[in-house]
Amino acid sequence: MKTDFRLKYPLWMMAFIALLGVFAYGINSPSTKRVNTSSNQSVIVEIGAFEGLLIFGAMVVYLVLITIFFSQVKKHNKEKPNQKISLLSIRPLEYLEQDEGMTHITRVAVQKVYTYYTWALPVFTTIIIIMPLSRLVIIFGILAIAFIQYLIYYLEVRKHFKEEAE
Amino acid sequence: MLQNRVKELRARHGFTQSDLGKQVDVTRQTIAFIEKGEFSPSVLLALKLAQALQTKVDDLFWLEGEGKDEN
Repeated sequence: MKTDFRLKYPLWMMAFIALLGVFAYGINSPSTKRVNTSSNQSVIVEIGAFEGLLIFGAMVVYLVLITIFFSQVKKHNKEKPNQKISLLSIRPLEYLEQDEGMTHITRVAVQKVYTYYTWALPVFTTIIIIMPLSRLVIIFGILAIAFIQYLIYYLEVRKHFKEEAE
Repeated sequence: MLQNRVKELRARHGFTQSDLGKQVDVTRQTIAFIEKGEFSPSVLLALKLAQALQTKVDDLFWLEGEGKDEN
């Protein structure tokens, strides 16, 4: 059970979010010039070597991770044919609902995440309204909120799964 | 809070948490949660556990303060 893919799913999402942050930094950091004349309108984007490396590196790592992720999903579905994970499912894949004990743990974790969102979104929205933040900072804020969501969920569920002698 | 003797009776019958879990169709972790008092089972699961451990539900579960351990 401790090795159940669904327990590790939030860690995967946290890794993807972190990668998206690196990618967003690479994409948003280049100097961008808008050229507006009466007859012409264009955007010049200059990507530096470091930013290019970040974008390319993030894409490569993402491809490697997504390949491992899909193989893990496939492995899980093979090992647990009656608890298959569908990547097209609307319900979050990390939910553990195979019996009432698991459903209880999931409910407690989801309640914590819900409570977090009840505060995080209004606070973040207020900060965006009050402070003149750049687009990149707002993107990082959104990614941080999503990252913390998975962290709260993972820590809550994990604390119930510390292995012990039977 | 709900108290229980699941661990004691499970040991008496020589079952592991996995054995008992299989008998009542839940995971080993759910048995562990119940034993630790982290989770109160449904009436249906309590009945199944009592049946598997060959006892009555009220011998297996009781409310805190009822002094079951004195019996």
